[in-house]
Amino acid sequence: MHMATVLTINGETKSFDAPPDMPLLWVLRDVLGMTGTKFGCGIAQCGACTVHVDGKAVRSCVLSVSAVANRAITTIEAVGNTPSGAKVQKAWLDAEVVQCGYCQSGQIMAAAALLAATPNPDDSDIDAAMAGNICRCGTYVRIREAIKHAANGQS
Amino acid sequence: MSGKMRILTGLVVIAIVAVVSGVWIIRGPGPLDFAGGTKVALADYRAGKPTGVPAKLEKASLVERGEYLAKAADCMVCHTKPGEKDYSGGLGFKLPFGTLYSTNITPDKDTGIGNYSDQDFLNAVQRGKRHDGARLYPAMPYTSYTYMTDEDVLAVKAYLFSLPAVRAKPPENTLSFPFNQRWAMIVWSAVFNPDTRFAPDTSKSPEWNRGAYLAEALAHCGECHTPRNLGFALDNRKKFAGAITAGWRAFNISSDKATGLGSWRDEDLIAYLSLGHAPGHGSASGPMGEAVDHSFSQFAPEDIRSIVAYLRSVPPQPSPDLPATTAPVAPASHKDGVTADARGKKVFASACASCHGWSGESPVSPMATLTGTWAVNDPAATNVAQIVLSGTKRHTPDGALSMPAFGEAYTDDEIAAVANYVTTRFGAKGSRLTAKDVAELREQTAE
Repeated sequence: MHMATVLTINGETKSFDAPPDMPLLWVLRDVLGMTGTKFGCGIAQCGACTVHVDGKAVRSCVLSVSAVANRAITTIEAVGNTPSGAKVQKAWLDAEVVQCGYCQSGQIMAAAALLAATPNPDDSDIDAAMAGNICRCGTYVRIREAIKHAANGQS
Repeated sequence: MSGKMRILTGLVVIAIVAVVSGVWIIRGPGPLDFAGGTKVALADYRAGKPTGVPAKLEKASLVERGEYLAKAADCMVCHTKPGEKDYSGGLGFKLPFGTLYSTNITPDKDTGIGNYSDQDFLNAVQRGKRHDGARLYPAMPYTSYTYMTDEDVLAVKAYLFSLPAVRAKPPENTLSFPFNQRWAMIVWSAVFNPDTRFAPDTSKSPEWNRGAYLAEALAHCGECHTPRNLGFALDNRKKFAGAITAGWRAFNISSDKATGLGSWRDEDLIAYLSLGHAPGHGSASGPMGEAVDHSFSQFAPEDIRSIVAYLRSVPPQPSPDLPATTAPVAPASHKDGVTADARGKKVFASACASCHGWSGESPVSPMATLTGTWAVNDPAATNVAQIVLSGTKRHTPDGALSMPAFGEAYTDDEIAAVANYVTTRFGAKGSRLTAKDVAELREQTAE
């Protein structure tokens, strides 16, 4: 028997049954069917599963649901409703960042959190914030370009 | 007596005096001598009941009482190899002179302790003497368990004998000469094992006496937290001053205000022991994490409070290599703060920052906060390197929180770099670990 867990995801209250140590990523994908957030490595080393908890980028694959009760969770499905998320998504399209796309939910979440905290990041800020998000296709150059693009508000 | 005889006799006397005083000096005080009060035999102590199980288990069956005591003595962690059956032994202890393997203490007659009589079991636990007469190595902490009452030891036996017998023969020890000479432990034991049962101190409260029994006889805190002497026995002149055990640093748990537990609040100590975490003091990992998971978290609340009362009374022993105060929170931006190892920063950015944050205060969980922990404030960075190598998994009432092991993913060079970066950014004084240091830490870790 699991106790009903209540989380606030993208501004909505979601109630479901899950063991308290189930990682948030499993809840999102398997319990709630929100498959925009991706599974990559499962040990917080690739960044594909990045979501926001209270506005900060965290890896949902190692975060148990019990640790995020009463905290505001934002996923790729709703990050476009935040000012920095909207800017990042537009810049991503303008710069044609995406190749295969698997890591891009995580890249966008990390970039949106970066811009929310540091509106005009330089290269070292981008390195520090994005180093944990791996892209097998090697879109790093376009990611950097798109983040600067989004920061400058160019279209 | 001739002159020659007189000289000879004199030399013999001098030799005996030298050996006796040498032994006396090396052996030093016993674990409870610091208290200084009048000790009485347990049977003559009327103020309370320091031994046995907590009140709620007084009426429980012998096996249930034994289970509580076996957990309090933390038998399982050492007598179980990860992935194998509980208490079936085979866990390797890597020592500088070879590897020792723990024994199977399930009731299997061939490979376990199924043939042990009560007296055999008492001999093993209190005197380090095996069923066949051979001596145990003091990796088995019988110099601590010797303080257990016969009744409690036999309750543990009843519990172990209630478990399924597991047929499992641990590997042979690989100790080199002269450490493979078991008979030498007869001498060691004669010098270092007091072979005496717990004697309450009438000058102290019943709570203190209960805490002393739990901490010394059962939980054997000193086996990791007290430095060892020349004979590899506990040096109680530096009781609870901290030591390196199995490649991890067991920190100072004396009442020293700056580097021990002196400034911890009672609720912090209680939380750390029973949950493995206290706000601002980090999370128990490595061997202490195991001790919390399998032992302290199972203690009755009043037993935890007794241990805290006892710990408070242990005289302060400063750790001169630790800073007097731990470092405050680091700046939120990666650009601010002390610039350290550029390579370490790269590793930190890609592998650590998403959980631990650039400030050291975790955006994920207070359990992952680095600020304020001794690990990052230890200029030797021992535990930082260890946890990076082997990771950790904490069980809490709210579920599990884990850190992956990076030992396979990163080279010794990279782990040294990130440990140096972490201690410099989040601690009071940065470490200067080299790849060689990390390689040595890998060697020391138990299997």
